[in-house]
Amino acid sequence: MVGIGLLVFVWVAVIAFVLGCVLKGLHYALTPMHLRWDLYPVAHEPRRDHGGSYLEEKDWWTHKRRTSLAAEVGVMGEEIVLLKGVWQHNRSLWWGSLPFHWGLYLLVVTTAGLVVQGLGWSPPVLTSVLPWVAGVGGFLLLLGSAVLLIERSSSPKLRPYTTPLDRLNLLLLLAFGAASMAVVLAGGFGGAGAAVTSILRFRAPEVTFLLGAQMALGALFVLYMPYTRMAHFFAKYFTYHKVRWDDRPYVAGGPFSSRLEAALEYGMDWSAPHIQSGHSWRDVVTHIPQQDEKGGQ
Amino acid sequence: MERPRIASQGDLVRFLDQNEGIDPARLVPLPYPYEDWVDEPIKEITEDQRTRIEVGPDGVCGAQIPVPQSEEEKERLVASFLEGLRKLLTKENNWTFLQPLLLSMENCVKCQTCAEACPIYTGSGHMEMYRPTFRAEVLRKIVDRYIKPGGKLFPKLRGNDIELDWETLVKLAELSYRCTLCRRCAQQCPVGVDNGLLTREIRKLFSQELGIAMPELHQVGTVKQLTVGSSTGLNPAGLMDIMEFAEEDITDKTGLEIKIPFDVEGAEYLVLHNAGEFLSWPENLQAFAIILEAAGISWTLSSELVGYDSVNYGLFYDDIQYSRIALKHYEIAKKLGVKKIMMGECGHAHKATMAVADRLIPDSLRVRAESCLVALEDLVTSDRLRLDPSRNDFPVTLHDPCNITRSMGIIQPQRNILAKIAPRFREMEPHGVDNFCCGGGSGFAVCQSLNFPDWRTRVSGRVKFKQILEAFADSIEPETHKYVCAPCSNCKGQMRDLLTYYDAWERCGIMYGGLVELIVNAMADIPEGFLEWEFH
Repeated sequence: MVGIGLLVFVWVAVIAFVLGCVLKGLHYALTPMHLRWDLYPVAHEPRRDHGGSYLEEKDWWTHKRRTSLAAEVGVMGEEIVLLKGVWQHNRSLWWGSLPFHWGLYLLVVTTAGLVVQGLGWSPPVLTSVLPWVAGVGGFLLLLGSAVLLIERSSSPKLRPYTTPLDRLNLLLLLAFGAASMAVVLAGGFGGAGAAVTSILRFRAPEVTFLLGAQMALGALFVLYMPYTRMAHFFAKYFTYHKVRWDDRPYVAGGPFSSRLEAALEYGMDWSAPHIQSGHSWRDVVTHIPQQDEKGGQ
Repeated sequence: MERPRIASQGDLVRFLDQNEGIDPARLVPLPYPYEDWVDEPIKEITEDQRTRIEVGPDGVCGAQIPVPQSEEEKERLVASFLEGLRKLLTKENNWTFLQPLLLSMENCVKCQTCAEACPIYTGSGHMEMYRPTFRAEVLRKIVDRYIKPGGKLFPKLRGNDIELDWETLVKLAELSYRCTLCRRCAQQCPVGVDNGLLTREIRKLFSQELGIAMPELHQVGTVKQLTVGSSTGLNPAGLMDIMEFAEEDITDKTGLEIKIPFDVEGAEYLVLHNAGEFLSWPENLQAFAIILEAAGISWTLSSELVGYDSVNYGLFYDDIQYSRIALKHYEIAKKLGVKKIMMGECGHAHKATMAVADRLIPDSLRVRAESCLVALEDLVTSDRLRLDPSRNDFPVTLHDPCNITRSMGIIQPQRNILAKIAPRFREMEPHGVDNFCCGGGSGFAVCQSLNFPDWRTRVSGRVKFKQILEAFADSIEPETHKYVCAPCSNCKGQMRDLLTYYDAWERCGIMYGGLVELIVNAMADIPEGFLEWEFH
């Protein structure tokens, strides 16, 4: 019974996760083109060291625009791997945040490794390394969650902005980290591989209480994660690449032209006196109200 | 004065019911010779004024919101706000910023990494209501509770326990005018959340739905600009008078006979100046004319309504007014058939016209735009002007306008110019893309009503003034004249008020001005003394 319950729950969690990520991704990706709102330094700019842009060039539109994907990857890498921004500007939080994130990364790696094994590719090195990855990951998540929980409950700058739900979330992750570590320490990691293999084959896994609890906690986290602000793990792609670093200049007749033309046809219904509600953007913004008409004030 | 403390999530909501006055003793301390400086208290809003105008939770009045006359009116305004909030989240009404809005609304992890980046929050002595996440968090709670499905389920657990009433809205509206939109907080956010943008969206909602906006930005800002021609109230006839005076002034100072060109079709540059320069700092306009004529550049100003004022205060509070002005600028440039637009020394105009408008102007109105800093760098570094830097043998520091640096990445040209003309140049710390706002950003510099200027000089400009003193620490005595170069009209307005309040000319010999004035002062072919050391 427990095995069937776990099988169903894990698959529900995976489906909810994928669905949540896809829906949220579409939610951001399908918004119309927005006005430019770049913020410097922009990582792919050759002038990034001093925060410069191509607008520093005379007749910038006559020059070939140079960008560096490697620099973007480098900056994102530093952020993801080292949490560089937090290190630079919020050091006290970094000590909890880094192990917390690394704990999650390592447990994701563990899961991926178990899935790979479950699909039939199982080199010896993977088998020998995975328990270590899982154990260290569990420990780091436990440590990070505990430190963050204490920080968020005691720090005058964090406590007022932390909801009871935030604390519950950290508690869940703390328990997940502890359970992950305990599974390894209790020598039960071998059962995890078999359980994942079973789940991949839609068969009820046979698990110990500890492993079942660990898997259930992980599945619960995976289930709701995309519907919370923890979705920043992929929303960051949009905040950085589609807003902050989006310095692509408009080219007449280029990809922005048609999107702008479409946006200008949207009808607006703002109600303030200076706006002619019910008309298109094009009509409203090309009409300047005079003193004696609505909006002239 | 004992500060109200926020200890918990519940307190955050209750905090909105409290007021937190500004305590001068807690403002960030200033260095020598201001260690013993005692700030004058911020003027209190009188009881009579309070019967007519709502006051912010810090006792400051910026938005100047009329007091509703009845409970019914309050309820109607709250309902309008919620209606506006729904519109703000639709692509039809807010295609302009929907994606960045959603991203910033939904992904803040409340780590407070942004807090210490804000010069208002730190300058005030860490007043909670000025924390970059504070107003954003209030907005987020309102959206979560009143707009999202199921928002009223488990409100305490989820932190949605906010009750929306008129008093809360007033505080939110006022607090949206306690941020200069400098985006320093956004720059330091590891997730990429932009609290400056959220602040602007709050202002926008109030403006576009309820017709509530700071009067200096709206009624006597964009509305006046679109109907009279300039937010200064300058009409075309007045403009011509000023130009005549400027031409005479150039001749008196330099002996040059320069005719300031207007409406020259096909010119290389249409120069867009902030019309505030014409009235408050005409030497800036004159310096531009001298440089462009000396370099033999074909240029023109426009005499058409809106075309002689680069200001676009819509950038700070209203997408409709912003778009109207931006489109008008391009329409005028296109009609004149100029090759390029040159943005004068005005930071927000740079951003409004060159950056933000880049995805607003239809193909049929496209004209390329360039910063004056880039064009001037070309003239100065290519030796098209004969320069004698020894004429600028006094300490100079550079204030970086946020809109030109952090929002556009134009950092180096102004430094390359100063390297050629200012032998005693020194940087402020931090500078460039990491600069601090002058405290007058997002149009605050022109807001002179009630006690708002007191707030600007004591709170929002405090960190900048500290930076200036530190930059000149080696020569702070008043006998040594020093120059804060601020290539932005709004920043200059704030500098004028800051240096006046702190009596910095008398106490330290600190002056301020633009970049072109320094260039002309160093031009070997111009009689010495273009820069007049008279504080104004």
